[in-house]
Amino acid sequence: MKYDVCVIGSGAGAGPVILELSKAGYKVLVLEKGPWIKTEDFTKDEMTVTRKDAYEPRAFEEPQVVEKPTDDGFKAQSSADTGYNFQNGSCVGGSSNFMSAYFHRLKPMDFQLATQYAPITGSNVVDWPVTYQEFEPFYAKVEQVVGVSGKVMPHKHLEPRSTDDFPFPPLASNIVAEWVKKAGKEIGFTIVPAARGIISTPFNNRKACYHSNYCGSYGCSSDAKGSSRAALIPMAIDSGNCEVLDNAKVHAFDTNEKGEITKAHYYNSTGVSISVEAKIFVVACQAIETARLLLMSKTDQFPNGIANNAGQVGKNMVFAGGGGGSGYFRYDELDANDAKELALKNTFVNQCCKDFYEIEDPEFGPCKNSPTGKVKGGTIDFLVEHSNPMPKVMRNKTESGKLLYGSPLKDKLLDYFTKQKRIRFEVFNDWSTNDDCFVSLDESTLDKWGDPVAKVRIGYLDYDLEIGNYLADRAMEVLAQMGAKNLSKSITGSPPTNLIAGGCRFGNDPKTSVLNKNCQAHEVKNLYVTDGSFMPTGGSAPHTFMIYANSFRVAEHIKNHLKSIS
Amino acid sequence: MKKNKSDSIEKMIPANMAQMEHWELNRRSFLRTALLAGAASQIAWFTSCSTQLEVRNEFLTAEQSTILKSVLMIIFPDDGNGPSADDLNSFGYILWSLGNEYDPTQDKEFIINGLDWTNEFAIENFNDNYYDLSESDKANVIASIQEEKWGKNWMSVMVTLVLESLVLDPIYGGNKDEKGWEWLEHEAGSPRPTEGTRLESFVAKHKPFAI
Repeated sequence: MKYDVCVIGSGAGAGPVILELSKAGYKVLVLEKGPWIKTEDFTKDEMTVTRKDAYEPRAFEEPQVVEKPTDDGFKAQSSADTGYNFQNGSCVGGSSNFMSAYFHRLKPMDFQLATQYAPITGSNVVDWPVTYQEFEPFYAKVEQVVGVSGKVMPHKHLEPRSTDDFPFPPLASNIVAEWVKKAGKEIGFTIVPAARGIISTPFNNRKACYHSNYCGSYGCSSDAKGSSRAALIPMAIDSGNCEVLDNAKVHAFDTNEKGEITKAHYYNSTGVSISVEAKIFVVACQAIETARLLLMSKTDQFPNGIANNAGQVGKNMVFAGGGGGSGYFRYDELDANDAKELALKNTFVNQCCKDFYEIEDPEFGPCKNSPTGKVKGGTIDFLVEHSNPMPKVMRNKTESGKLLYGSPLKDKLLDYFTKQKRIRFEVFNDWSTNDDCFVSLDESTLDKWGDPVAKVRIGYLDYDLEIGNYLADRAMEVLAQMGAKNLSKSITGSPPTNLIAGGCRFGNDPKTSVLNKNCQAHEVKNLYVTDGSFMPTGGSAPHTFMIYANSFRVAEHIKNHLKSIS
Repeated sequence: MKKNKSDSIEKMIPANMAQMEHWELNRRSFLRTALLAGAASQIAWFTSCSTQLEVRNEFLTAEQSTILKSVLMIIFPDDGNGPSADDLNSFGYILWSLGNEYDPTQDKEFIINGLDWTNEFAIENFNDNYYDLSESDKANVIASIQEEKWGKNWMSVMVTLVLESLVLDPIYGGNKDEKGWEWLEHEAGSPRPTEGTRLESFVAKHKPFAI
């Protein structure tokens, strides 16, 4: 059988395409590398989820090689040795199952960094070929279809919206939300509700959030979290036009003399390679594995990998710049009511500050060096430490670098868990694309199928750390005003392993981009890439909302493409 | 009384596929038994100094078991502040860890080797088996081995295992009767793992690639 569309991957970048094309009557085959974990199989079991990382591929079976910057240049290490990799949820729905679902829209300025701001030395920042206005209807669609909760409040960087508010009301939050708002107001910051891709009321056979307080990294047991698996794929299957094959790992494509893909080859659960035919192929395996798949697929027409005759596949990877920090409140230093409220188990704060999405501070070095006095900044989110106890006990395992055990360890644990609460913040700023941040193949390191693995170089610019530190300092001002103690921050060049984009940048010039503005490969007319790979820059927010919106946008183009060839 | 590892591994491996199911059943049966700390029949082993050793098991000799139990109580003692390692059944949890097929073999070997190296350290520096030392000398050994690279790493692993036995779900053998959660006033996330969704079941159901 020849399908209309073969989609490789099933996460946030794939789900909208799968849904829209199935609903339009096209026959869609989904090839997902991982298993199909059903809602009832998700638990809050730290052993399965975070101690053994059972939702990810095992590092010794599917390693990645990571090249970290050191004083002596880049040092390559396999994740089979270090455990450090960028593999995320390998299952139907991909890592959208395990996101924290902070759904901040990118802002108009994010699409025009190169023209709106001064160049950053060492960076490859470019404008997007599509404006915010073109994405806006699709952001609105995600808010309705995937389900976004929150409350739109005015602030100086509020992006233009076609709807007045989010379709779902805000989720319940901890009293810390009130403290953050009050402190922000006292020091002149505007604190606004943070939108979440989590529904607060039932919708489409999905239950409302039940506040398990085990959210990020965990699968959702009520389907409130807007994963592709829960929010989109069921409707695609209901259309009768969508077939999902799990444990189907695509490893190569064939191309014809016109440079079009004719077949995708995948390994089934017993390791046998099987091929499928389709008119159009959509790749959305998460950015690193997408680049790897294209690079692995060497054909007569593409000796350096599919769509890579210009040598751009894998280049200009994007992570999330920034980091986080925290402060502590001791219950015995609060009045009784506040202490009682703070101790409640709900960990959602859902408040953020976007005042510094653009920084205009004459005292700040990068602003001094900018002709306009302005530089791109980012987002600050406030949150309470997650409920799952293992990170908390591990945080208390040492003191001043020395291992604790015996009564001192027990005393510290009891104090940490029962006498205080840690309030956190996360900052998101741009990860400047640069020549030392890319994906290639490591031909000497093979996965369990015998294929070369991805080698990821993670070079970063110190400039991004300056921005991150500026934002973290503002967040700490809020925490200090709230009365939090023992404030600290951590802004590093070590990227978060779950926020990955770039590598198949979209653009108008085939010499400097892999995809055109519709995320169709310049060199392969029946290939689209719809995960975060297309992003030339990452914005100052987690990428998932943008990926969802873009995938809905690209689905429209694929529909038109199919119409034109049928 | 040191266990000869190659001998024991040989005994653990079934001779043919026909024996595999029987071996697996026995193994699971043992693990269940092992987790019921105290319920297993005690086989008395005595050293020259008449120290009563723990019962040996599938993974550890009597000596290794005895050293392990002592080390766990040094890491998480019965000091009047919350549960001890014994209360938590940290020992049973570590047996589960040693039998857990999801972890790399070398990690488990390191845990066991550390027990032997601790005893060797005691013999070299205190002229006696670890388990025959006084409680204060045992504590001195544990403090001293951390000056060695292996000892520092090994103790870090052991503390992590005890912390896991403190707060992970009791279904894995530690956190007995939820004593860890109760002490730390922790409310478990829901749904909790069941026999059908715990790690082993999840892996069996969802990780078919074993090429």
